[in-house]
Amino acid sequence: MNETPVFSRIANADRAPAALRRLDEQALARLRELDPDGSHGVLMRVLRTFEASLMRMLGQLSEAGERGDGAAVAALAHTMKSSSASVGALALSQLCAAAERSLRAAPADDLPALVSGLSAEAGQVLSAVRAMLRA
Amino acid sequence: MTPPNSFADDDLPAQPEVLLVDDDEVNLLLTALALRERGFRVTEVDSGERALECLTEWTPDVVVLDAMMPGLDGFATCRALRAMSGFENMPVLMLTGLDDDASIARAYQAGATDFFVKATQWGLLAGRLQYLLRASRTRIELERSKAKLGRAQDLARMGSFDWRRSEGGLAMSAEGLRVFGHGPADRMTLRSLLRMVPKDERRSLMRLLHEVLRHSSVLATDVSIMLFDGRERIVHVEAEPEFNEHGHSIGYTGIVQDVTDRRVAEDRIRHLANFDALTGLPNRRQLIWRAERALEHARRLQHQFALLLIDLDRFKIINDTLGHAAGDELLMEVGRRLRGCVRHSDQVMEGAMETAGARSHRALEAVGRLGGDEFVALLPEVGEDRDAERVAQRVLEVMREPIFVSGQECFVTASVGVAIYPRDGTTVADLMRNSDVAMYSVKAQGKNAAAIYGPQLAGQGREKLELETALHKAIERDELVLHYQPKVDVRSARMVGTEALMRWQRGDRLVMPGNFIPLAEETGLIVPLSEWALREAARQAHVWQQSFGFADAIAVNLPSRLFERSDLIEHIHSCVTGVGVPHRVITLEITEDQLMKDLQNVIPALHRLNEIGVEIAIDDFGTGYSSLAYLTTLPISELKIDIQFVRDLGHTPQSSAVVSAIIALARSLGLRVIAEGVETLRQMEVLHRLGCGIMQGYLFSRPIPPDELERWQEQLPRKAPWIGAAGALEFGTDAARAAGARPY
Repeated sequence: MNETPVFSRIANADRAPAALRRLDEQALARLRELDPDGSHGVLMRVLRTFEASLMRMLGQLSEAGERGDGAAVAALAHTMKSSSASVGALALSQLCAAAERSLRAAPADDLPALVSGLSAEAGQVLSAVRAMLRA
Repeated sequence: MTPPNSFADDDLPAQPEVLLVDDDEVNLLLTALALRERGFRVTEVDSGERALECLTEWTPDVVVLDAMMPGLDGFATCRALRAMSGFENMPVLMLTGLDDDASIARAYQAGATDFFVKATQWGLLAGRLQYLLRASRTRIELERSKAKLGRAQDLARMGSFDWRRSEGGLAMSAEGLRVFGHGPADRMTLRSLLRMVPKDERRSLMRLLHEVLRHSSVLATDVSIMLFDGRERIVHVEAEPEFNEHGHSIGYTGIVQDVTDRRVAEDRIRHLANFDALTGLPNRRQLIWRAERALEHARRLQHQFALLLIDLDRFKIINDTLGHAAGDELLMEVGRRLRGCVRHSDQVMEGAMETAGARSHRALEAVGRLGGDEFVALLPEVGEDRDAERVAQRVLEVMREPIFVSGQECFVTASVGVAIYPRDGTTVADLMRNSDVAMYSVKAQGKNAAAIYGPQLAGQGREKLELETALHKAIERDELVLHYQPKVDVRSARMVGTEALMRWQRGDRLVMPGNFIPLAEETGLIVPLSEWALREAARQAHVWQQSFGFADAIAVNLPSRLFERSDLIEHIHSCVTGVGVPHRVITLEITEDQLMKDLQNVIPALHRLNEIGVEIAIDDFGTGYSSLAYLTTLPISELKIDIQFVRDLGHTPQSSAVVSAIIALARSLGLRVIAEGVETLRQMEVLHRLGCGIMQGYLFSRPIPPDELERWQEQLPRKAPWIGAAGALEFGTDAARAAGARPY
């Protein structure tokens, strides 16, 4: 628990409802079904894994954006698309799908804009996930 | 075979092992969790490279690959995996994104078994995996049973083939190719197959194939083929037509099997069942079968056919003197010679005869062996009696040459009886019987000849045949009895011995020896008959000894051939010791002409018999041409004056001269003399006057059963009419004369 206290507080107090809404309840329910009585702590394990993987991908995303590497961005979008769908981050998943589609169709002229849009949404999801992990 | 389906289900692992490959940790975790939840054991790896590494040392039941991965993606991994040995049929499930048609197609191209669109419905994924596993099991079972079938076909020297009217023609399985001596890579065409069939059979095979094709019927036939290495094989071909959806025949599917070994065994069995093991000629069964076919043919085409029954004349003697091995050797040579007398066909025939052509019945012609020394020649078509007679003459001719067996030259003759269809019988059984009758008529008339059946032969032959058969069984059925005629010393009015005379109690008829002894001599039955008589006489001597103190001898008539048997002494010994009477209770009678005929062979036995106390009497004395010189050296005890001299006594002076000469001779040699056939008091008186006191005849008693004889001897001193006459030496009347000929 080395999170910055300010960030935490904000997440807990003001942004929590919005953040929670970013994770689809149905998807979360399906995850809970994998461990109905919660004895295996499946939901928490998944969220922690997702958090770590999202953190890593966010870093890779900004690097790829800076390099102007559209293919790498597309691959990252593809991976983020399915993992975010799994945890119910539907908005992020859709954003990833759109980015992947457009990048595979043609090299994007506005790669920096696309990367920053993805990063922003991913940041929101990350916050929401962290909020849940604290809850 | 176990149905592969149930086998596959039972065989599914309880916890199928899954190699799960996904670069996304979240998905990897979730998928793994979901599958574990449903009973799978999951190994997670996060890249294609790791997956391939993993597979080098471990084989999962199924591989789940994420299609899109950095580095080695799912497609490349799948291709690499398929190239690894042992993973050709590994079920591989490719995980693709939604709406990613291109990936689906690429997944199949890369060799994936199936694809699955990534979704959060984990249950669906598990179900798909179960399905894949089951399909894979079924496939493995299928492969296994195909391999098993291949092995089984190989063992059974069997293979399968398809033949299409259109494309490609003949497709032969590897096992099938092996049947024809080809390697698995060779190709066969119908043409090349037909070339392996010997020319003479090829044409009929082609005819058959055309016929089968025309009717789209089932093909089942045995084909002889010659392999490239020159070996001959027999291949069984069986095929069924195949039809398309419009009902048109499109070709055939079937099997080929090397049945050479089976055919060889079958042929051997058929040969054993139909041919005589000794001579190799058709046996009784095969002969009868051929005769039946010949009869059908002759009936249909209105011609005659002939059965020749050939019986060797002196075979029994050869068998008895030279032994069975020599007998067998002789039969083989006879078989060889007889074969040459007809157009002998060795073809094994059974079941339906090919009725191709009107001449096919010619193949029935053969000489066969019925058994023993009996052979049959079957002439399926004869124009007239002369045709059959010619063959019969040939048979007699080929026998003329001596046959060498056991280093000895043997002369064998045959008696041949001929019966011709339809005149001499309309069934095979009738023809066989009537050829037998004809053959017996030849035997009766001196053998070594042939005769054609005629109705006049039927009566005598058949009766004789029946008699012979019945006589064979007479001993075991206890139908033979001995009657006894007393020998009487007229001076003391005492019984001094008896002669045993054989009777055959055949049903309620008492058959006299004259009616069966000649047949017994002819067939050799005389030997067991005589042996029985000796045993019975010894037994009777014992019974009488117990009941009235009988201490004389019972005379048994023996033919000379019995004296030649080395076991005669032992037999008599066992007969008398068996019942506890001395050897001397048995006297043997041999007729003068039999004695003279075989003198050299008989003398040793006479000496040995004498030594053990068995006396010898010469029967019918005076009729033969006895060398008186011999007579002096023979170990004999008694002469029996022949009945013809006794009958004439008192009527012709010559007879009394002969009788007195015999009596004088006997006296000078120290032999007893006895007169047989004494029927009148006058005969008795003359004999007595000439010096012969021991007599036998109807005047005293006819031959009677043993219990009657016992009663007869009890009243002997008082009641007999001849007693007074003998005592007074008066001439009496013929009152006591009994009708009938001299007893045997």
